[in-house]
Amino acid sequence: MVKQWGYAALGATLVIGLTACSSSGNEGASPDASNSGAASASASGQNAGEKTKIAYWTPDRHDAVFMQAKIDEFNKTNTDNIEVEMTVMADNYPDAVDIAFASKQAPDVLRINNLETYVKKGYITPLNSYMDDATKERFSSVLIENKNMIGGEIYSLPNTGQTWRLIYNKDLFAKAGLTEAPKTLDELVEYAKKITEAGKAEGAYGFASNFKSSSGFWRPSITVSTASGTTGAEGYNFQTGQFDFNSVKDIALALRQMKEDGSMLPGVESLDMDPLRAQFAQGKIGMYINHSGEPSVYKDQFPTTVNWAAAPPPTADGTIHGAINVVGGWYVGISNDSPNKEKAWKFLEYLYSLDLQKEYYENGYGVSLIPDVIEAASSPSTPGIEGFLPTKYDALYPDTPLTATEAALEGTKYGDVLTKYVVVGGDLDKLIEDLNTRYNAALAKARADGTTKIEADPDFDASKLQGALAQ
Amino acid sequence: MRKIQPYVFVMPSLLLTLALGVYPILWALRYMFYDYPGYGAATYVGFDNFARLMRDAEYWNSVKNTFIYAGGKLVLTLPISLILAVILNKAFRGRQLLRAIYFLPTIISASVMSIVFFIIFNAYNGMANQFLMKYHLISSPVNWLGADYAMLTTILIAVWGAVGNYMLLFLAGLQGIPNDLYEAASLDGANASQKLFKITIPMLGPVLQMIVMYAITVALKGYESIMVFTGGGPYGKTDVMYLYVFKQFFPISADTASMQRFGYGSAVGFASAVIVGAVTALYFYFSRKMDKIY
Repeated sequence: MVKQWGYAALGATLVIGLTACSSSGNEGASPDASNSGAASASASGQNAGEKTKIAYWTPDRHDAVFMQAKIDEFNKTNTDNIEVEMTVMADNYPDAVDIAFASKQAPDVLRINNLETYVKKGYITPLNSYMDDATKERFSSVLIENKNMIGGEIYSLPNTGQTWRLIYNKDLFAKAGLTEAPKTLDELVEYAKKITEAGKAEGAYGFASNFKSSSGFWRPSITVSTASGTTGAEGYNFQTGQFDFNSVKDIALALRQMKEDGSMLPGVESLDMDPLRAQFAQGKIGMYINHSGEPSVYKDQFPTTVNWAAAPPPTADGTIHGAINVVGGWYVGISNDSPNKEKAWKFLEYLYSLDLQKEYYENGYGVSLIPDVIEAASSPSTPGIEGFLPTKYDALYPDTPLTATEAALEGTKYGDVLTKYVVVGGDLDKLIEDLNTRYNAALAKARADGTTKIEADPDFDASKLQGALAQ
Repeated sequence: MRKIQPYVFVMPSLLLTLALGVYPILWALRYMFYDYPGYGAATYVGFDNFARLMRDAEYWNSVKNTFIYAGGKLVLTLPISLILAVILNKAFRGRQLLRAIYFLPTIISASVMSIVFFIIFNAYNGMANQFLMKYHLISSPVNWLGADYAMLTTILIAVWGAVGNYMLLFLAGLQGIPNDLYEAASLDGANASQKLFKITIPMLGPVLQMIVMYAITVALKGYESIMVFTGGGPYGKTDVMYLYVFKQFFPISADTASMQRFGYGSAVGFASAVIVGAVTALYFYFSRKMDKIY
């Protein structure tokens, strides 16, 4: 009898295990369901007199409840007989979009994942002809080549973006006798050492980054190098139109020094972003560099009692010469295949309206990149967001030719090369020289075959970007 | 009607094989001579992708890692699963339960398994370190996923996931060995290890040959759990051949956009298939006597 119960229990465990494994399959089915929805939406849009259905796809889940309420409101109140159907997609959004366009079942409006690729693939349509002068004027300071327009054609407009900061644990700072965030890279190294000395016994360390992937180097380097210098981002010099990774040398040296000092959390080389956040929430990390998504992470995902704050990133000499790179610049676009582009634009007007964007920002769903929204809105309520609000030092940069260059690149990418340097060391000058040679050769190839059209801009000066978002 | 019937039965699987097996292979065979980012026109580049492959240190590093990974996995998995199969082939109370327990890891998704093992092995608060430190087996945390141990840890997890599966295959083989042989050996006074080496292993010959071949190809092609567990890191230390191929088609990048390399990916995929094929062929050549036991 006992044996039979044992087998029954084991059988149940197996069934549960199998069901758990197959649940992702069920989720994966949802794009198909919405595909047919999109197809019928477009088809029914043809019938005069009926409501025009606009299918809208987005992978954003954090704001889904808010957005659905707003769309319901739009469906009730709009006078153009438009009914928007929003589908919040599961993972693999880029694949779902590719499949939808290949099978002629694309939605009318879609969240843009990679503007340049979507334009090259012919997915999205220019918005210039729909935009009136007032709208063009409203967005003029945030219209950026290759971020939301290509060759002067505007394909999307920004809504929110990520501002980047040094995030630090004030409790650990106090314990180490420190009162404010480091302003220079030397201070960063020194503070990390002090925090580790004071906190190591309890498992707390000075600094961490998600070095499991090259992202662990990318995050601190793009933030610090754009704030320190005035010529470029991601190793690319806009003035000369060439790659020069000496621009990230200072931050690479600082990160390596912290690793050598033992000031980094043990095991950083296998650390992903979420495990890093979990450790920070437990008070085990003194400092790290990341974006404005963090306040909601510590509010909902990893609630913490840690007393933390965000500060501008440290720079080589303590002064922000350029502007801190903001990630963003695009939001939604209209499908080239949509038979209802005019009505889709009406929906976009609603999405970008001052009232909606103001509410979105104030509710803490994202840091707005629309100047009039930043000016009109009151500060969002999410604890900790105050350190991330756009300042005159935050700016959208022009796009770099990094993606096209790395597609043609032979050998290891810079993020991986420099991550390895941070973890195990090496001859940094030699590594940078090799990177410069390889990247510039790949860039020449990408320019020759037309994969990128980004050329040198001798007049570029990152200090002139200051103030474009906020004063 | 009778003449058509077999074809009707075969047709669904034949069509599926052609559509999902043969067509993608032909596609890849063509595109390995092209440069194609997934949109626009593909550019014919002749053997450029292969020339690039020869210079690609990252790829050859992944090939080296593949052999370390596959070698380690096979050396540990096969003996352990054979011994388990021999033990669980004996009649004793609870053996069905034990068989099920050992087989359980096989049905757990590779991603779930990898995430659980990450929680166990991470350096900062992993259970493995806490356990070893509690019992004073180590004095400071071991960086299981750092450069020195990442491959070893990855292999151990692969072994954990594979032992049950191979145990089951060996069990199936063991059932085919006549009991008379063991009885005769017992009468002659043979001990357990003599029975294992003089009867079980030789009699398993052809089955063993197939299981080892299967294990070699699976180990050389494995990448899913590594992708979740280490992502090939730290800095390429656990990057394996097919993970490298996967990354050409579907770049894994958290921040910067990456372009897909369908042409180069196809070339790398083809080269990797040739390597796996060559190893399997070599194995067949050297193991050809195994099926002549009887």
